[in-house]
Amino acid sequence: MKKYSYMILAFLLCCTAACKKLDTLPPNIITDQDVFANSAGITAYMARMYAELPIEDFRYSPARGLNFFWIIAPTSATTGEALSRDQSNSMQENLIFDDRPTTWSFCYKTIRDANYLSETLPKYASNYTTEQINAWLGEARFIRAVCYFALVKRYGGVPYVDKVLNYPEQSVDELKIPRSSEEKIYDLISSDFDYAYANLPESNQAGRANKYAAAGFKSRAMLYAGSVAKYNQVSLVDGSGNRLCGIPAAKAVTYFKAAYDAAALLEGRYSLYKKAWVAGDKTAQYQNYINLFFDASSPENIFVRQYHYPESVHGYDAYNVPRQLMGANGYSSEVNPTLNFVEMFDGIPKNADGTIKTTTNGKYDLYTNTMDLFANAEPRLRATVVLPGDVMKGVSIEIRRGIYTGSSVGGISPLLPAGSTAHYPTANIVEAANANQTPVKLPDGTTMNPAGLSGYFTGDGTCSVSGFAIRKYIVPDKPTSEVLENRSDQTWIELRYAEVMLNRAEAAFELSSLGQGDKNYLQDAFTQINQIRERAGADLLTGSGALTVDVVRKERKKELGFENKQYWDMRRWRVADKEQNSTIYRTLMPFYSIADGKYFLDARLDERNSRYTFDPRWYYEQIPDPEIQKSQNLIQNPGY
Amino acid sequence: MKKLFYSIALSVLVAAGSSCKKVDNYAAPNVTLKGTVTDAGTGKSLQTEQGSGTRIKLLEISWSDNPTPFYISSYQDGTYQNTKLFAGKNVISAEGAFVPLVQVDNTGKTIVDKSQTVDVKDVTTVNFSVEPFLRIEWVGDPVLNADGTITTSFKITRGTADPNFQQNVSDVAVFVNSNNYVGNNNYDNRYTPKLGGDDANNAVGKTISLTTLGGKLPGKRSYFIRVGAKMSYGLNYYNYTDVKEVKVP
Repeated sequence: MKKYSYMILAFLLCCTAACKKLDTLPPNIITDQDVFANSAGITAYMARMYAELPIEDFRYSPARGLNFFWIIAPTSATTGEALSRDQSNSMQENLIFDDRPTTWSFCYKTIRDANYLSETLPKYASNYTTEQINAWLGEARFIRAVCYFALVKRYGGVPYVDKVLNYPEQSVDELKIPRSSEEKIYDLISSDFDYAYANLPESNQAGRANKYAAAGFKSRAMLYAGSVAKYNQVSLVDGSGNRLCGIPAAKAVTYFKAAYDAAALLEGRYSLYKKAWVAGDKTAQYQNYINLFFDASSPENIFVRQYHYPESVHGYDAYNVPRQLMGANGYSSEVNPTLNFVEMFDGIPKNADGTIKTTTNGKYDLYTNTMDLFANAEPRLRATVVLPGDVMKGVSIEIRRGIYTGSSVGGISPLLPAGSTAHYPTANIVEAANANQTPVKLPDGTTMNPAGLSGYFTGDGTCSVSGFAIRKYIVPDKPTSEVLENRSDQTWIELRYAEVMLNRAEAAFELSSLGQGDKNYLQDAFTQINQIRERAGADLLTGSGALTVDVVRKERKKELGFENKQYWDMRRWRVADKEQNSTIYRTLMPFYSIADGKYFLDARLDERNSRYTFDPRWYYEQIPDPEIQKSQNLIQNPGY
Repeated sequence: MKKLFYSIALSVLVAAGSSCKKVDNYAAPNVTLKGTVTDAGTGKSLQTEQGSGTRIKLLEISWSDNPTPFYISSYQDGTYQNTKLFAGKNVISAEGAFVPLVQVDNTGKTIVDKSQTVDVKDVTTVNFSVEPFLRIEWVGDPVLNADGTITTSFKITRGTADPNFQQNVSDVAVFVNSNNYVGNNNYDNRYTPKLGGDDANNAVGKTISLTTLGGKLPGKRSYFIRVGAKMSYGLNYYNYTDVKEVKVP
């Protein structure tokens, strides 16, 4: 009997094993359920999309594309803001660098991610509140619009994909989507940002978009569209009448109005950073402008990208510190602001033509210190650029071209004729080829190196090649032991309120010049510009009559210098081929005169003779050939 | 017997192995396409700048209705030649500083099509006669002045009567360089005088003289001089004169 009960038990035991289902999902693959059914999964999904957002930050250069660590050919050295030993001409974005994905494919990948979220999330709506769902859908649309904006500003009209494409459910021919018109892409960007503005919350986690980020980005995108409508001359029309390159001029007013209205939405929500600002105190204004880029609680930050050592890093400090603060990787001084950039600012002695004044009656002016020339410089200039002899990280940044040993009776005449790109004559000048210098004995018995600790060295470019160094975004208290590649983690401010004000001012000025009178646009532009100037410590405009298109654009160049914005501004204004037409940028070279015991400064053309020429074709960049091979319906931009 | 078997087996193996070799017996491209782009008004070849000036566009329609274009850049004197093409039927047109041969209106309809459909084989010559945007003529040779500068006189006129292609002239320049490849992509801006804005636009129809910049030119060498002008249309191509050499003793 006992035997039977064991047998029955054994038989029953078999049944338990039989209930196991064999058709189960592999546990090592993440499914939609894992990602979209809980908010932690969605946060992770968002994090990746934001990390891949195509913005030109610390990890961008035209030579190497988006999101790459090695930035030794910086964007600012293609625009004339700076000179660099590794970037000596203007360029369109490099199509393919080192087999990395192109900007084109980066953007479409992220667009797919955003569309996927928009289509999948509603299936899990029961897990969340309506506000949560709306906010996430708003973020997806924000991200998609930023991607399309990155595409349209490079290529003009591109294929518009607003849903997830599936292969092989859809045939290859169906997936060869032709380009839409440039106008249509801008209109879709506008409606995506409007959707995001309507659905996003008032505030969000740092690094993620809130509704004002959507409005701010919209003001930027619409300003581009308006500028293209007004200034572009290139046209490319496909067989169905879609204008792939160019926007009808009649649309300029519509787009500038959209830019203006979007910018106005931020008024009262954000403000210029003025925590340490004191009226009339240049030192406080200078310190305030430096702090602006490092204060996480700044009321000016609208949209930022955060970094954090060691998992998400860049190398901005290592590549760009002045030579004498160089870290152990051996990089330094990749960004050296040009004299052309410096001359735009107020508070420096100038000639009638706006260039810096370093001579009187054909003889050099003499200074005890190189900084004396800049004694009254605009605080924003000092906070953006390291002027020769100014202090950084507690040391004086010594930039000297050489020692002048000649006579100074009757004053020193210019060393070279105006407009020369020649090397300085070697008679009467002692120079240094590199950082290993032989000191020169001075009459008082002391010695002095021919060149400063940060240059200029005639033999190698690892120095300040322009006579200046960059201060903006360089962490003021970072110890030299941490000035290394992939060791910086300061936050990139992609959109700050100053830019929104400048967008508003420019849109307002353009509307006024296009004869729009429904608001006092000129007065509004004047108010915005003067607020920026006041915070900068610059000279204020006397009245709205002083506004010209050059004043508006120059303010933008000064305020947003070295923030990788000018590269695109020069294009949308269609001025790049005028500004860069076999252009050589200017430098400022300080010399020490032994006979006087004083310094003089020589303003000259870059002696490396780097000529910048912008090819008008680049207003619409080349579509990567592999993309056309994959989808033959794509029409290449003109001239390629 | 065994030996015979092995030797047969070996030869079969060798034969099998070598039979797998594929021979690409398609002949290398050896067809030449050449020609000249000439100014319809003067009959002379249309000067351009090498690399970013005139180029010839080929659409090979032997195989596909929607081919990827193939381009041949022209020399700076307006001639072009490619000796390594495959034979085939091509639709050929040219792009450059002249009234476009193929024009599309804003609905996408082709309104002008002066492209040529040609069977390209052996040595094929295809010429184009075009209306340049601007026609620039020398007024005498460039003169070496007593003060060591060079003065160049020239006259710019409109190359076409079509008002759609008579935009404002935006730049006029007397390009100076140390070799005969001279133009907007290759010049010495220490010496090259330029006109821009209204000055450039007002230059049309008049005899203009421009003198090199920077005072006395360094001696014991030749300078190559070429006048260029462009108007605000499309990719802002320059029109040019031919190149003249000035020897400075």
